Amino acid sequence: MKLRFLLPSAVVLAVALQSGGPGLAQGYQFGRQFGYQRYAPVTVNERAEFAWSRLQYDPAVGSSGGGYGYYGFRRGRRGLWSTDYPKADRTFLDALKRLTRVNARSYEQVVNLDNDDVYNYPFLYAVQVQSWTFTPPQAAKLRDYLLKGGFLMVDDFHGTEDWDNFLAGMRLVFPHRAIEDLPDNDEIFHVLYNLDDKFQVPGEQYVNTGRTYEKDGYVPKWRAIRDDQGRVMVAICHNMHLGDAWEWADSPQYPEKFAGMAFRIGVNYVMYSMTH
Amino acid sequence: MFELLFRYAPGIYARGHLVLLGSWPVWRLGVLILISAAGLGWLLRGRWNRRHAGVWALQTAMVALLLLLLWQPALSLAELQPRQNIIAVLVDDSHSMAQTDGGAKSREAAAQAALQASLLPGLEQRFQTRLYSMDRGATRLASPAQLRPDATSTRIGDSLRQVLDDTADLPLGAIVVLSDGADTSGGPGAAGSGIDRDTIAALRARRVPVHTVGFGAATPARDAALDDVQMETRALTKSRVPALVSFHQHGFAGQRTQLTLRAGSQLLASQNVTFGPDDVIQTAQLMFNAGDAGLKTLQFALAPVAGETNPANNNIPRLLNVRSDPKRVLYIEGEPRWEYKFIRRAESFDPQVQLVSMVRATENKIYRQGISDPSELAGGFPSRAEDLFRYQALIIGSVEAAYFSPVQQDLITQFADRRGGGILFLGGDASLADGGWGDSSMAPLLPVTLPAHKGTFVRADLSRQAIDQPRGQAYTALAPAGGDSIITRLVDDPAANAKKWHTLPWLMDYQDAGVPKPGAAVLANVLVNGRTLPLLTTESYGRGRTAVLATSGTWRWQMMLPYGDPSHDLFWQQLVRWLAAGSPGQLTAAVPQPILYDQSQVHLSVELRDSQYLPAANQAVAARVLEPNGQSLRVPLRPSPSAPGQFSADFTAAQPGVYLADVSAAGGAHDAVAFQRLDGVAESFHSGLDADLLQRLADQTGGSYWRPDQLAQLERQIPYSNAGITLRDNLPLWNLPIVFLLLLALPIAEWFLRRKWGVV
Repeated sequence: MKLRFLLPSAVVLAVALQSGGPGLAQGYQFGRQFGYQRYAPVTVNERAEFAWSRLQYDPAVGSSGGGYGYYGFRRGRRGLWSTDYPKADRTFLDALKRLTRVNARSYEQVVNLDNDDVYNYPFLYAVQVQSWTFTPPQAAKLRDYLLKGGFLMVDDFHGTEDWDNFLAGMRLVFPHRAIEDLPDNDEIFHVLYNLDDKFQVPGEQYVNTGRTYEKDGYVPKWRAIRDDQGRVMVAICHNMHLGDAWEWADSPQYPEKFAGMAFRIGVNYVMYSMTH
Repeated sequence: MFELLFRYAPGIYARGHLVLLGSWPVWRLGVLILISAAGLGWLLRGRWNRRHAGVWALQTAMVALLLLLLWQPALSLAELQPRQNIIAVLVDDSHSMAQTDGGAKSREAAAQAALQASLLPGLEQRFQTRLYSMDRGATRLASPAQLRPDATSTRIGDSLRQVLDDTADLPLGAIVVLSDGADTSGGPGAAGSGIDRDTIAALRARRVPVHTVGFGAATPARDAALDDVQMETRALTKSRVPALVSFHQHGFAGQRTQLTLRAGSQLLASQNVTFGPDDVIQTAQLMFNAGDAGLKTLQFALAPVAGETNPANNNIPRLLNVRSDPKRVLYIEGEPRWEYKFIRRAESFDPQVQLVSMVRATENKIYRQGISDPSELAGGFPSRAEDLFRYQALIIGSVEAAYFSPVQQDLITQFADRRGGGILFLGGDASLADGGWGDSSMAPLLPVTLPAHKGTFVRADLSRQAIDQPRGQAYTALAPAGGDSIITRLVDDPAANAKKWHTLPWLMDYQDAGVPKPGAAVLANVLVNGRTLPLLTTESYGRGRTAVLATSGTWRWQMMLPYGDPSHDLFWQQLVRWLAAGSPGQLTAAVPQPILYDQSQVHLSVELRDSQYLPAANQAVAARVLEPNGQSLRVPLRPSPSAPGQFSADFTAAQPGVYLADVSAAGGAHDAVAFQRLDGVAESFHSGLDADLLQRLADQTGGSYWRPDQLAQLERQIPYSNAGITLRDNLPLWNLPIVFLLLLALPIAEWFLRRKWGVV
């Protein structure tokens, strides 16, 4: 199972790095072309009610690098967790502050599961979760965090294999808790915006390929793990790339309808996490 | 000693007044005294100093006394005509009179002996006497031998009223009461409260003096007893209910016993207590879970101590009406906040509270949760009394005061004042001083005087440095008043509870709420940077109650404490229940005492209000009273002619047991109140001699209080009464021993002083 997973990933990574595979290479150029400013390290200690916290997790052994974000770190612990970081985070926070009354901090917070800081941030965002894994203490902490009232939103993983790998990590946290498809009438899709007509939100590769999917993730899946009271505590955005949509929302090439949907979904999820 | 000098008892002086029987006008006495004083002063002219002034004073006093005696002073008072008046003698024959107080004779036997030996024969020589036994009422007896100390209650007031009625057309000259004063009219908790005003007024109207004779010892030799239990009579299901139990003991100082609370055979709470000094009232708080809905008879008990003489006074019952009708609480939040989420989560575990919330999600959308139908709060925060007053409590989060219209501001004030609801103000960016609440019309609602400046809301510093050295963070500490509050009781044991508050994780934010107003109670404080600020402050406001929780960061308790720690949820559930549980419905029924000790008359009072909580007068109100035998009785209530919305009814609880009165109005409002008639229990409490009560009764009616060994004096004093058929008598005062002593003492004193000063 491991080998089956490792081999294709290694091949894809090697090809991408050596030959500048279409997605990564074009993504890089796409970003470079429009000259986004580099994000300076945060020096101001801004205090606000809401902090967008990004989960820094350990990559599973042999998990592939990749992702399409421009600013992500990709080495060591700075692995796939940082895909689209920090521009996606900050663009989304701009939207959240403009569209809602949430008193949100202007910049993101990176948290991990090796200390108790995570408990100060009841909302967690994680990407490329097909590559995550947890030590037993980390899994216990995430389980503890979620059961106490924390909320986890996962994004940017695609297709069957990614799902399996995501599930392998998730089962370390909740071995037996059911994962269910969220119906359109679920409150999470109506807490602020009515999202009855959702559609697949692609990454920025869509600009060059016209494809809304990646790998074999043709159909977007809105899934969740609920707590004992039926509240969503893990919101799973599978076969979509909301982070890219936020990151490239200011690009004329990236369709507004995808960015708009991504913002609405993100805002709804944040609102849900703060009200349920 | 008094009688040796003044010849008559003090009571006789108290009943009479001074007269001068001499034929000369009184003014001449005054003039002569003045002339004498002036003459004596003239003789000493030119030599005035302190010593001569002393001599002059003694000589003047001597002359004045002699002149006064020439005017024949006397004490004028009414005296009962022999053989024409009735003297009523009431002898307590309740169970407490059977006590021996460590002696050979019981109190009753001592009273009987006193009656038969001297009192009755002496009185019968001059008056007609009527002998009564005194317990629940007065019963005429033919002879003291008929007295049996086996009655289950003592109602001195009722007995006196009965004697007055019995002798309404007869010349009643005086009443003599022989008792231990252990009156049971008000039950165990009302000991020493005295005789009711109506009875005292009736005695005074007929000018009948009541002479009281006290039997027994003030304190039993070795006894422990419960004195009272203070607790709510209603509670929500599964709620924690505090009960303040007071007790005392004599002869067991330093010993330990157990205080228990049971509902039937189920033990609800227990606590070990150590007795303090003798006869000092101690208190202990028992905390228990109200359990499921229903009417419960609770039994508070102090475990009997070895050697205790009267274990019957170790138990006190109470009724608790546990109700399951959920309370609706409206929570308005100005912005999405974590506190909002975690409050909702905490309340989701409380089936007795329906939290209806509205949060201003965007500038154009209010997100509602917990609504009963889509129309609820569809127009935003209620602007009509009937819409807002549907809720029992209101929580106001980070919402600036100006967000509310003047009409809404008035409604919020009336919500506590008129409707009797509870309002909780939370800290936040737009809360308290920062939200302009101190300058708003709603400022009087707050239990604190807010700071005049803004910038009072401070968020925690989550920087790496601050996290690693969290000395600047906001920690919590229980305030003294919080130790007794159900809101802040996270652990049953008071010491452990205080420690728990000290060890709670620091708050995610805090706010300077200013200074508590007089009458407000600070239950918990924030400790930050060497300052102590009020965290949770409560007070009563109008018919309701208000509170300020100067933070929105308690959610961090939930996240930082181990999973399963109940502190956060328990705190919020208790706080919200406190806010809502005391809010009255449109109809509230009440009885003066939930336990009727040896009493059958019940006064049921009802207050009825309309949907705006204004007094509702024009409705029919009736009670269906479920009796202990299972039968029900319909009791219509009559409206008060002077107080709109007030109704009442009197009925008789014919048999001992628990009664439940379900009161309903024609408009649909209803309430239920429970009470219990308990016979023969109160007599076991406070069975020591209550000399204070007997002394007060005598003082209030012009009589005197006597000990059994003073009965001879009582016999002499009884004839002097203003009641009955009397003759005015003048007792001469010129021949009092004190007068002769003064006539001797004044010249001797003058002589002594002259010798000493050398002015002879």
